[in-house]
Amino acid sequence: MRVLIICTEKLPVPPVKGGAIQTYIAGAVPYLNENHAITILGRDDPSLPDEEIIDDVQYVRVPGKLLETYREGIVNFVKDNTFDLIHIFNRPRLVCPVRDVAPNSRIILSMHNDMFKIEKIDPAEATKAISQLDKIITISNYIGEAIVKLFPEAKPKLQTIYSGVDLDRFVPIYSDKGRKLGDWIRKEYELESKKIILFAGRLSANKGADVLIRAVHKLTKKHSNVALVLMGSKGYSDNRMTDYIAYINAMANRFSIPVITTGFVQPDQIQNWFAAADIFVCPSQWEEPLARVHYEAMAAGLPIVTTARGGNTEVIEGNKNGLIVENPDNPEEFVTHLSTLLTNPKLCKQMGQHGRNFVERNHSWDRVVSDIANVWKEIDYNIQNNTTIGSVTLQGKKQLMENIQDTEQKEANADQEIQGEKRDKNINTRLSVIEEQQSPITQKTQLRKKKKLPYSPFNRSRSKNLGLVSILF
Amino acid sequence: MSEEQLIIPWEIDSTLGKLYVPPYIEEMALEVLQHYNFKVNQMEVMATKEEKGGLIWKIETDQGPKSLKILHRRPIRSLFSIGAQEYLRKIKKARVPSIVKTNTGENTVEMGGKIWFVAEWIESLYEVKKDLEGTKILSNAIGEFHHLSKGYVTPIGAEHASRLYRWPKAYKRTIKKMKWFKDVANTHNDMPASRLILSTIDTFQEQARRALTMLENSPYSQLTARGNKEWGLAHQDYGWGNGKMGTGGMWIIDLDGVAYDIPIRDLRKLIEESLENLGKWDVSWILEILEAYHEANPIEDAVFEILLIDMALPNLFYKNMKEMLYEPRLFLDEKLKSDVERIIELDHTKWPVIEQLRKEWKGGKNK
Repeated sequence: MRVLIICTEKLPVPPVKGGAIQTYIAGAVPYLNENHAITILGRDDPSLPDEEIIDDVQYVRVPGKLLETYREGIVNFVKDNTFDLIHIFNRPRLVCPVRDVAPNSRIILSMHNDMFKIEKIDPAEATKAISQLDKIITISNYIGEAIVKLFPEAKPKLQTIYSGVDLDRFVPIYSDKGRKLGDWIRKEYELESKKIILFAGRLSANKGADVLIRAVHKLTKKHSNVALVLMGSKGYSDNRMTDYIAYINAMANRFSIPVITTGFVQPDQIQNWFAAADIFVCPSQWEEPLARVHYEAMAAGLPIVTTARGGNTEVIEGNKNGLIVENPDNPEEFVTHLSTLLTNPKLCKQMGQHGRNFVERNHSWDRVVSDIANVWKEIDYNIQNNTTIGSVTLQGKKQLMENIQDTEQKEANADQEIQGEKRDKNINTRLSVIEEQQSPITQKTQLRKKKKLPYSPFNRSRSKNLGLVSILF
Repeated sequence: MSEEQLIIPWEIDSTLGKLYVPPYIEEMALEVLQHYNFKVNQMEVMATKEEKGGLIWKIETDQGPKSLKILHRRPIRSLFSIGAQEYLRKIKKARVPSIVKTNTGENTVEMGGKIWFVAEWIESLYEVKKDLEGTKILSNAIGEFHHLSKGYVTPIGAEHASRLYRWPKAYKRTIKKMKWFKDVANTHNDMPASRLILSTIDTFQEQARRALTMLENSPYSQLTARGNKEWGLAHQDYGWGNGKMGTGGMWIIDLDGVAYDIPIRDLRKLIEESLENLGKWDVSWILEILEAYHEANPIEDAVFEILLIDMALPNLFYKNMKEMLYEPRLFLDEKLKSDVERIIELDHTKWPVIEQLRKEWKGGKNK
C-alpha cells in the first residue's frame, strides 16, 4: 500500500528533539517499510530539510507549532498526492480536513492522549471524524474507554496497542551489564550503600513527585538507608525553574536523606538511572494515558509502586510485578508499599524478574510493529474487498482475530523455547547477542544528535546535575 | 544548516550590574536593527527580564526615539500581543505605542527564538499619583482600553491567548499552592515567619475554597459563553508602571501579556494595589474607582458579581507567599512575619467592605 503517516505539529521526525510519538514512529517505520511505500508528513525543523528520502522512506516537512498553520500544510500536501492509507497520530482535528482532500483513502488514527475531550475538539467535529475512520488505535484501554464515554459509536473501531520498550537498552539490574551501569552511577553520586528509589518524569504537580518526597521523608524513620532520585525537569530539554520545582526543592533540601534531582536527562541516557535503582515509583496524581516509564522500569527488572490512575494499572499484574497505591494523594500508602519492598529484598527481586519477563513477552518493539502491521493488513483487506469507508466489517474483524491468534501462537512458541533454561543466563546471552547486532531502533537512538544543555535551575540547590531525561508526548 | 543561537535566560550579579546584557544578544540587536530603515545613534538598556530572556532598549534614531524590545514568550504567543497592539493603535486609535514596520513591512523580526519589535517611544510619559485621583485616572484608562479591545481576532499564525475559561483552574491552583506554602513552612518551621504562617494559612485556604464555590455558582459560565471576541482583552499586568500620563491622555504600555479574559480582573488588581497602599479596605474609595471605570466601560451586574468573587480570593496573601518556595531560608524572615501581620489586619477590614459594596454599588448610578 501507499501509506502516509501524519505526525503532530509539535516535534519533528526523526526525533531530533525527542518526543514519545516521534520516537514511536521512528522505531516502527524501518520494519513497516518492508511491505509498504511510506511517506512521513511532519513539522519542519531548522536542522532538517523540508523534503528528503532516507532508506526508501519519503519525509515531507511543513510549518508546524500551531495546529491551524500545520493543518494548512497537511491539506495542501494531501490534495496533490494519493494514498491508500493515511495514518494520523494523536490529532483527531486533522481527520476531517484530510478527508475533504482524500475522499477515497482509508484513514486510521493512533491516540496517545485523551485528545477527544471537549476542550480539545468540538464534539460535532469529533463525531464526524470518528465516522470517517476505519480504525482507532489507542495506547491503553483507558484512552479507548475515555473516547467511548463521550462517543459510544467509536467502540467497534477501537484497538489497544500497548507501546514497547527497547529491551536491549534497558537492561535488568541483575544482569552483568545492568550491574556495571548501576555501579558507575552509584559511585559517581556516592550512593554505593543506599537503597535507591527512582522517580522519572516531568516535574509537575500531576506527576506527584511532591507526594513521593513526603512519603520518603516519613519512610526514613524506619529505613534510614534510602536515597531518592528525581529524574526529570519542567519539560523536554527544559530546565527552567517553576513554582512547583521550587516547592519540591524547598522540601527536599531540608531532609536528612539524599535527594538527587538530575535535571533534564537526554532520552538515550535514562537507562543509566534505571540500572542504578532498587525500586521504581510512579506517583502520578492525574488520570494519565499510561506512562512509558512502567515499561522501562520493568525492562530494568525493578519492582514498581504505581497509582490507580488512568491506564497505569493495566500493566501491573497484582503483586507480581508491582504494588498499586489506591489513594495517590496520601503519602502513607506509599510508605506502606515501600516498607514492604525495602524489608523484603527477595520479593523485590521476584517482582523485578517477573516484570522483565512481562515486558519481554508483551512489550518488545517487535510486538508493537507486528500489531501495527496487522492493522494495516486489515485495512488492505478492506480495500481489496471494497468495504464502505469508516464501516466495521465482519470480515475485517475476522481477519483481525486470525492475526491475534497467530501472534499469540508465536508468543506461546517463543515461551516454550525459553522454558527449561535459566532465566538470568538466558537474558545475559540474549543481551550479548544483541550488543553485537544492534536493532535499527537502537541505532536510530544513538544517531540522535546530542544537544547542548541549557542553564539548570538545579544548580541553585545542592543537588548535582547529571545532565539528562524525560518522557513527553 | 547549522542551528541558530537561541536566546536563553541569563544571570546577573553585583559585578555585572543590573542592566547587563550578554554580548551575543547585543550582537543580535545590531543584526535586528539592520531590518529597519532608520539610523540608530545610541541605544540604552532600560530594563531586563533576564530570568526569562526578555529585554527593552531605548534607541535614539534619526527618526526620533524608539523602543526595541525582545519579548520573552514563545514567538507564536508574542505574535498575539503584537497583533493586539496593532489592532488597538491602528483600528481603534487607542493610546498605545505605534509599532514601527521593518523595511519589508513586517511588524516583527524573529531571532534567537524570540520575537523582536520596534515601537515609538512616548517621550512625555509620567506616573500618575498614588492617591485616589491618580487611581481613578488609571481606572478610567484601563476601562477605555478594555472597551477598545473588543472585537480583536487572533491573527493567522499566532497562538490564541485566552484566560477567559481558565478562572476555575486558576482558583484551584491557588488552593493547591496554599498547601505548598504550608508544606514548606512546616519543613522550615524554625524560621521566624513560619509559625505565624502556619497558624493562619488554613483560614486563607478556606477563603480560596469558598471563592471557588462562589465562582461555580455564579453567572461565570453564562458570561464566558459569549466568547473571547465579545469580551476583548485584559492587560494582565496593569498598574502605575504600565499606565502613564502623556500627550493626549493616558497611555497603556507593555502589552506583551494581553489575553482574552473577563477584563474586570485588571481592575480588581488595581483596586487591591491601591488599598494596600492605603492600608485598609474602604467602601467609598472603591466606589469612586469603580465609577471611574464604569464611565469608560460600563460594569454590568453579573460582572460586578464576578469582581466581588475575585476580591474574595486571598490575593494579597498569595502574592506575598510565592517567593517562599524559591528561597525559604532567606524569605521566611522577620520581614515576612511583619508583612503577614499587616496582611491579616488588612484582611479583617476586607470582608465588611465587600458586603457593603454589594449593597451600595448601584451600577454607576451612585452619583
